[in-house]
Amino acid sequence: MERHYGHGDEIPGTTDPLTRLSLDVLAETAAPPPGAVDRLLSAARSARRPVAAAGFTAPFAGRVAAMDALLASATRADWSQKIVEGWTLQELVAHLAATDSLVACAIDAPVAGPPLTANDVLGRTADMIAYTGGRTPQETRAEWRAQAEAIRARAAEMDPGTPITPGGMSFALSDHLLARMLETWLHTVDAAAVLGVSLPLPVAAHIHPTADFCARLIPWTMLLSGVDGGGARAVRLTLTGPGGGVWHVPLDVQVVARPDDGAPAEVEIACDVVDFCFLLGGRRAPDEFPATITGDAGLARDVLHCAPVLSGP
Amino acid sequence: METPGTDDRSLHQRVVGGDESALGEVHTRHYPLVLSLALRVTRDRVVAEDIVQEVFVTFWERPLAFDPDRGTLRSWLATIAHRRAVDHVRSEQRHRVSVLGPRLTDPEPSPSPLEDWVLAADEAARVRRAVARLPGGLREPIELAYYRGRTYRQTAEDLGLPEGTVKSRIRMGLRRLADELAEEEV
Repeated sequence: MERHYGHGDEIPGTTDPLTRLSLDVLAETAAPPPGAVDRLLSAARSARRPVAAAGFTAPFAGRVAAMDALLASATRADWSQKIVEGWTLQELVAHLAATDSLVACAIDAPVAGPPLTANDVLGRTADMIAYTGGRTPQETRAEWRAQAEAIRARAAEMDPGTPITPGGMSFALSDHLLARMLETWLHTVDAAAVLGVSLPLPVAAHIHPTADFCARLIPWTMLLSGVDGGGARAVRLTLTGPGGGVWHVPLDVQVVARPDDGAPAEVEIACDVVDFCFLLGGRRAPDEFPATITGDAGLARDVLHCAPVLSGP
Repeated sequence: METPGTDDRSLHQRVVGGDESALGEVHTRHYPLVLSLALRVTRDRVVAEDIVQEVFVTFWERPLAFDPDRGTLRSWLATIAHRRAVDHVRSEQRHRVSVLGPRLTDPEPSPSPLEDWVLAADEAARVRRAVARLPGGLREPIELAYYRGRTYRQTAEDLGLPEGTVKSRIRMGLRRLADELAEEEV
């Protein structure tokens, strides 16, 4: 990973008091010339694409931008590093492009890579990794990035509630983009950990809808795990930290989780919002999950153990 | 919708997420320091402005090269600015050598600390004289803060003044010095 650091918190050349004073005096008269910010932003856009800061596509776009920022600093050696699932960094980007391509196809956005023949994540990933084998890391990055942008642009023109079924999973378009946000975030964290990069969290405005999506998945994760949530039972979920909140989660797939309104719940689970999203994403161990449980401990254990069931590679 | 954070850590978080308005805020906040450093080394406003833009574009393009757990954004930007400016000066030196021949040019600068070669002796003397001409109320806090390395709080205690008063007097003093030195150059 390319880095260029100074020495701690020292401004170069300020050990001498007169130099420091001269710099500060000069700074008093250093106003940017007219148009400097516009010129800067124009040059910056050529170097790295900015993303729309608002709207239902923003959380996904923000994580794509963060992954792209990580790839921008990757060295030649980094691209060959094994990151997760035995994939190199280039293969991981191919996997993201593969899973994104199922969404792109579902909304009629341009699809990256070879013609789409498999509508499942593993099959499409295998095809995409084979396809990228003959391409450079930067070509793989550019194709993934362009497709992600095409998905964002096309989705922004659509009703967020439009049901789509990429990979056989039928959800609203907005939820599929939150699923893509979560997976892109998880894999960026995977890569950052291997490459030794400190990765800031998404902004709270992007974490919150992702946490809401994860809360709404809880009854589904229990159903898919074959655990009886018990129809009328509910969980109060308190997620702490920026982007968190409190949800009332009925354990019934016919009833949607909602912001907590004080309705009765058999158990209250309180934990960090990022930990909760990462539990759903398969990056936290249910047995060691740091949560405060009040009420039916057995039900809480079931909820936490079922939570990662939808996580895949 | 929460208001986005505007401290350096939040701005970095937003830049990583591709929010270009955060880059504009970083530029507004750190432009004076970055320009000052580039100008000190290159002594050419046009070149310095180019270096400033390069520094902020670098931060935008590769924001994860900066780690907020290892230092401040201010010092990181300053380091990049200094390095780019020194590279520019050395490249100019090499160009003159290749065009004029080695004996007709100045010797290659050694990689000494910045103050050894950017703050010429006459300039240091000008700054000292200008400080000496300041009225006492503005001069004393500057002398304590800069020449004796006292913090704002210590300077306030030394002078028996509120910290806020000391900060504003230092600011006024810097502004007065900037005006005086600018007049000398006319």
